[in-house]
Amino acid sequence: MRRILISAAAAIGLLVAGGEPWPLASAARAPGVSADDSSLDALLAEDCADGVALEIAQAASRLPQEAGVASDEWPPHALGGVIPPVRSVSDLFPTFDGIALDTENDRVIFSDENRHSLLVYGRTAGGASNDPTEPVQWVFGPKTRLGYIAGVEVDPKRREFYTVNNDSGDLMTVFSYDDHGNVQPRRALTLPHQSWDVSLAPGRDEIVITVQQSNALSFYKRGATGTSAPIRTIRGLATQLEDPHGTYFDEAHNEIITANHGNWTQIRPYTPYDPIVTDVGEYKSGAFHPSAITFHAADANGDVPPLRTIEGDVTGLNWPMGIDVDLIHDEIAVANYGDSSVRIFRRGDRGSVQPVRVLRGALTQIVGPVSVAIDTKHDEMWVANYGDHTAVVFPRTASGNVRPKRTIRNAPKDTPTCGFTNASAAAYDSKRDEILVPN
Amino acid sequence: MFARLANGIVAPKRVIEGQATNLSRTMHGIAYDAIHDEIVIPVALSGAVLVFKADASGEVPPLRAIQGTRTRLVRPHTVAVDPVNNEILTADPSMRAIAVFDRMANGNVAAKRVISGPRTGLLDIVGLDVDPIRNVIVAASRKGNGEKVGLFVFDRLANGDVEPKQFIGGPNSKLAHFRQVTIDPGTGNIFLAQQNTRMKQMEAYVLDKPREGFTAKEKDDEDDDSDSGRLDQMGFIAVYGPDDNGDIPPRAIIKGPGIRLAGAAGVALNPRKNEIITVGGNGFQTFLLPDFFKPLKKLGGGTARP
Repeated sequence: MRRILISAAAAIGLLVAGGEPWPLASAARAPGVSADDSSLDALLAEDCADGVALEIAQAASRLPQEAGVASDEWPPHALGGVIPPVRSVSDLFPTFDGIALDTENDRVIFSDENRHSLLVYGRTAGGASNDPTEPVQWVFGPKTRLGYIAGVEVDPKRREFYTVNNDSGDLMTVFSYDDHGNVQPRRALTLPHQSWDVSLAPGRDEIVITVQQSNALSFYKRGATGTSAPIRTIRGLATQLEDPHGTYFDEAHNEIITANHGNWTQIRPYTPYDPIVTDVGEYKSGAFHPSAITFHAADANGDVPPLRTIEGDVTGLNWPMGIDVDLIHDEIAVANYGDSSVRIFRRGDRGSVQPVRVLRGALTQIVGPVSVAIDTKHDEMWVANYGDHTAVVFPRTASGNVRPKRTIRNAPKDTPTCGFTNASAAAYDSKRDEILVPN
Repeated sequence: MFARLANGIVAPKRVIEGQATNLSRTMHGIAYDAIHDEIVIPVALSGAVLVFKADASGEVPPLRAIQGTRTRLVRPHTVAVDPVNNEILTADPSMRAIAVFDRMANGNVAAKRVISGPRTGLLDIVGLDVDPIRNVIVAASRKGNGEKVGLFVFDRLANGDVEPKQFIGGPNSKLAHFRQVTIDPGTGNIFLAQQNTRMKQMEAYVLDKPREGFTAKEKDDEDDDSDSGRLDQMGFIAVYGPDDNGDIPPRAIIKGPGIRLAGAAGVALNPRKNEIITVGGNGFQTFLLPDFFKPLKKLGGGTARP
């Protein structure tokens, strides 16, 4: 997690050099939070006090003024060395990814994939301001072990919240409402690579995890830690799990509801620690399937088909991400990233069905939504935007192109988002003079 | 797609995304074909390689898709395009192979050549480029025990289980956890993005099953696969000459906090402007280095001086 710290420190250094304030610097503390009371700025400064980090942060802050900074002598006789960039593109603000809503304790928790933090707000937070909304609590820093986190879940009774590292550390980490700042997780569970979402079944005392690259649902005991193995896994050709993302453990109906992007391949071991295997069995080629919502029996184990699916052109499903279920009104809400909408289906729907409501359009301010949360207690629906530095709150039954009731911002209004996370390749388009980055 | 001169917190000029594109949100490679004005991109989670018009924007289908039982693709990670010899190359760590397809291949098409097998030394292949002028393929591949971690140079027409003609790696190279490789066509210089000098950490699972004998590390800061932030372990952009071979340090390097911001996972070149673009994490940086686009002297007589 040092990378995260240093990125933050260097970014802060550049920000300071540029005279811009840190958006969360004056964030308020939650009542009853008993951990260290430092601001995020102070936390970063404290974490830079280990010499190396401080040196890097200081060097980064000098970059605009200096042509180079002396460093060690390796490699000998080489061209180059410590060299500043002539241009730098980076989104220094958080981006909302997952949402978990706790109406018992009046909190909402967001995962921030960009800066690797968990941000907690009061349930009534937000409004019409153009300024960033102050969280009441945050978890951020190298001790947290947060990487490129995605899904988030909350356990109101135990006052705990969970998140899943989709990349850079294959972990689920659990924090308490009493945790704040750069703190170690209360517990951590090692997960398969590319896990995306987590959903809790309090009655069964289990959690379910989606795993993108394995096209799997893995189940663990709620309190599992370390390298505990899954208690069962739904995986295989019959499951119709295809690049699964958001999931919901519906204990009331004994079902697991999962949003799938439709990408599928029969992945084989690929890491540098796995040997070459020549006997790979029958080869199944990769495939592009339509996006779908799958419903599996919660007790299923192995290569088990879904009980039903929602799939087809009229569904409008397009890279569905997070989902939530309204057990009172028997509805499912889906954050439909591909067309910047939220689609509401009946929980019992199957096949190619139209949603009962669609929330979409410029007025909604829904841009690249990654998660959604339904609040039946206060009749609201929350949407987290990856494509904008916002989350927006609507009346639960809102439909069409309507304005949100209030907006939560993690950056000043109209701050752009770079639109990629954890990129690992680039190309240069010489005809258009453009830089291409796959996400 | 960003303007070359973009600087600061900037939104892309255009984006290709959505269901109809057949892309996913997990893509690790990209190549631009300047002659035919196309973008080539692997989709790891669908065992496919897609080709788009370079001016595509929004939710548009690909021009061509290489996918199907004849392709043998499983999890293509990175791609390269050879517009001179009309070929698309992809490296697939699950196949443990480099597969070469006709550039116009579309659908369920077999590869023209496949470089794979124990003699190749290839395992976790994360970077790939082709030099149609010097007729070589350069692959960046990693093995967990530290052996055969580095750059593998093959004849462009290599096929089957063949040894590389050159290999750059070993303790003096400090090559360990790297990703994208790219070649400057003018000089043949090889650019490699290395995230850090520690070996990639072992994953706790083999796909969805716990790895036998795996024990979790105690130190938190060792759980991160990316750049550790320590000066002695920080990532860098390494540059080698086309004839370099053996356990040698980089001939040219970009290191320090500037490259640190990028994380050095990907690297692209704009030779006309002498610019090197590095990408990683949530941003990219551009470096202006004319000397890196000049031929490096051949090593010989024990000197490592470029």
